[in-house]
Amino acid sequence: MSPGEAVAVVGENGSGKSTLLRICAGLIRPDQGRVSVNARVGYCPQEPGLIDLLTADEHLALFAPALGLSRERALHEGRRLLAELAFPVRDRSQARHLSGGARQKLNLALALIGDASLLLLDEPYQGFDHGAYVSFWEHVAGWKGDGLAVVIVTHLLTDTVFVDRVVELTASPERGAVVS
Amino acid sequence: MSPARVLAPAEMTARDLSRRRIALALLTALPLALYGAQAGHLRHAVVTGGVVMAFSVAGAAMFASFATRAVDQRLMLAGYRPYELLLGRLLLLEVLGVLVAALFSVVMVLGTGPSDTPALVGGVALVAFTSVPFGLALGALAPQELEGTLILIGVVGIQLTTESSQLVAKFLPFWGPQRLLTHSIDTTVAIGAAVPVDIAYALALLLVAVYAIGRRVPVISAPPVSR
Repeated sequence: MSPGEAVAVVGENGSGKSTLLRICAGLIRPDQGRVSVNARVGYCPQEPGLIDLLTADEHLALFAPALGLSRERALHEGRRLLAELAFPVRDRSQARHLSGGARQKLNLALALIGDASLLLLDEPYQGFDHGAYVSFWEHVAGWKGDGLAVVIVTHLLTDTVFVDRVVELTASPERGAVVS
Repeated sequence: MSPARVLAPAEMTARDLSRRRIALALLTALPLALYGAQAGHLRHAVVTGGVVMAFSVAGAAMFASFATRAVDQRLMLAGYRPYELLLGRLLLLEVLGVLVAALFSVVMVLGTGPSDTPALVGGVALVAFTSVPFGLALGALAPQELEGTLILIGVVGIQLTTESSQLVAKFLPFWGPQRLLTHSIDTTVAIGAAVPVDIAYALALLLVAVYAIGRRVPVISAPPVSR
């Protein structure tokens, strides 16, 4: 991956797209091979990793010290990101009361705050409405312009027009990956 | 390790628990009810009330631990260390444990009139002290809340149904407090090494919890993934 590059990872169910991303994030040890990452990683898992009884602001405050951010900066940056994703920022609801799309937006925002230079996004727009989906890809273009490298797992072939490269994984490992 | 890296997990654990008022009220009411039901049997009532208090504190610790499971891996990827997350939760839960222990101590001292009041208060305090790492270890090791709850019920139940002099009781986490509580009613029962054994047990449980959480949510920062 180069700075400013966007790559889509596509493939059949069970082909290992999410596993590949988790290996790249350092959450799983690969059986073979090696991944070298010289970047701060922002990882957005497929299933929103949230604490049900906490609000969006409380999630941002919890992540702040880990990212080396002050609480104020994390809240400022996080609320700005959430507002751009059309998240109801003034809503003080606990995560369990948020809609599926709103939970996913919070999930994505938690991957974006801080100074990540490599974004690993596993189907990050599940549950988004059309406007938020379009806005997401506009943001990807913006992140590329800012020099971030972005990897996106997707099922939608239409998404591949927004990226620089497509990596297709097959369910049969012996067939290997196809890069186009 | 900056204070914020411990205090933020502690604060969010407090906020999470404060929104589980009914569950916490039930967890606290159960031991009080069991104590009240046995109020006519001095020795049994004190040991039952004290040891069953583990349900309240260990239950709160276990639920707090399960609540954050989905996010622990991301928190560690973002930069937290397992011990920072655990230390923050431990501190908050020990404060909660002190409050619960104070409530139980007042109720049982007034309700029972023990022969050795400091031993009763000490026994209750040790139950709270040990329950936190016990609950955190259960939260890190048990597959789901149901399994964790059943293990909690099982361990506390066995501790209650055995005398502190029995061999099996000495291998359970609340043997030290059980001994102190028994002594508070019957001073002929020696306290012996109850306190140091209990502290050692609590520290061992805490190490188990740190190991389990680190193993369950490994963030690889060394080769084969180099960063």
